Amino acid sequence: MHLLWNVLRHAVPLIVHGDPYLFSVVLFTLEVSAVATAFALLIGLPIALALGLGRFRGRGVLIGLANASLGLPPVLVGLLLFLIMVPRGPLGSLHLLLTRQGVYLAQTILALPYVVALGAAAVQGLPPGLPAQARTLGASRLQLAVLAVREARIGVLAAVIAALGTTLSEVGAIVIVGGNVYSYDQTLASAALFEADAAHFAEAVAIGIVLIALILVLMGGVSLLGQREGGIGLRFRSAA
Amino acid sequence: MAFLWDELRQAIPLITSGNSYIMSVAWVTIRVAVLATAIALVLGLPVGTALGLGRFRGRRVLQALANAGLALPPIIVGLAVLLLLLPQSLFGSLRIEFTLTGVYVAQTILALPYVIALTAAAIQGLPPGLLTQARALGASRRQLGGLALREARIGVLAATIAALGASLSEVGAVVVVGGNIQNYDQTLASAVLQQINGYANYPYALAIGLVLLALVLVLITVLTVIQQRSGAIQLRFRAP
Repeated sequence: MHLLWNVLRHAVPLIVHGDPYLFSVVLFTLEVSAVATAFALLIGLPIALALGLGRFRGRGVLIGLANASLGLPPVLVGLLLFLIMVPRGPLGSLHLLLTRQGVYLAQTILALPYVVALGAAAVQGLPPGLPAQARTLGASRLQLAVLAVREARIGVLAAVIAALGTTLSEVGAIVIVGGNVYSYDQTLASAALFEADAAHFAEAVAIGIVLIALILVLMGGVSLLGQREGGIGLRFRSAA
Repeated sequence: MAFLWDELRQAIPLITSGNSYIMSVAWVTIRVAVLATAIALVLGLPVGTALGLGRFRGRRVLQALANAGLALPPIIVGLAVLLLLLPQSLFGSLRIEFTLTGVYVAQTILALPYVIALTAAAIQGLPPGLLTQARALGASRRQLGGLALREARIGVLAATIAALGASLSEVGAVVVVGGNIQNYDQTLASAVLQQINGYANYPYALAIGLVLLALVLVLITVLTVIQQRSGAIQLRFRAP
């Protein structure tokens, strides 16, 4: 118990006194999570809608692929990105390796399957009559999409929570692509890895506590948002 | 593209010639994933079943804890386990820090929330009449648990797939608790990390990554096929 107590006694002041290193890592973590989740939504939601609502050939295969990509080890995503971004690699001229931009890109790619797979599942889970009726009433594709997202919002929010969760806790890909450069492109999770490896346990625990607090606040906030909007609220607008 | 092609051409022979280092890491990975998932099933299925069926005090709290456990970053779990296992700490006398046994422990703890939370959710998703009827017909607790698990087997298999997938691809906890020691307590995922960040040995990293990908695909596909086969609803009643 002695050791645990000692570690905690040194960790708490780091948080309370606002250690500048810790603060900069928190800031970057928030940036990465927000940017990656936003981009994943921007790219992934239209794909999810097409998969969930669409009636085209190969749709089943694509949904299977999206689901399978959820099981892809982040380390492999990191490895692939690394080999593409290496100076001699196909995208080497962009100099993304060991930069913050590289970390943004890696996290976006990792968040994408969650948005696509869980978003498509949420849209597919809607009562089948709903999109059919909207189609019959002459809804355009855009209107149909908006309706589907609105009605499946709980599932879509779950996808956002999952995407946010990976970007907050993932280490494999960003350590490979970003190199876990101290105080530059570290997230809280990779910084915890860094400090634990260096046997700086007080720092690691301080980072860990902040990370858990951040996850609780962000996840709790998004979950509350979902519950508040939970009731089924069908609203039809004239297709003016 | 020439660069990627070159790396691939060096990586493939490492796999086909059965490189002894890669094979031993693959074997450790399979052992860790299977053992951790098995122990997590043994410990977690009763808890998940109790949560899914139960009407006892503190049930909601337990379920919230299991769900929260899913969102806990593996790196934090690894850090906590390491701190408990360090020589001067609570379980220091076990002397399993930076050992394969420590990795088993960490991976089991990481797999546990998947088993508990997803099993409980699967059982709660059963048609409510089923369990009520079994209770009314005088099923004992054991029989009720057995019936619930059998009927919710698709969800239970999904939990197993998730647990297995997590232990195959996770790096944070393995690296922190095991120390990522070459040829001893590395998994394929953590070996990729080491080959890139530590040795910049891209052909090895790629070869190990490909083996990991193959392993994930095979294990998940086999389990998914089993899951889909067992999908048909088959009610069987046995005399008590």
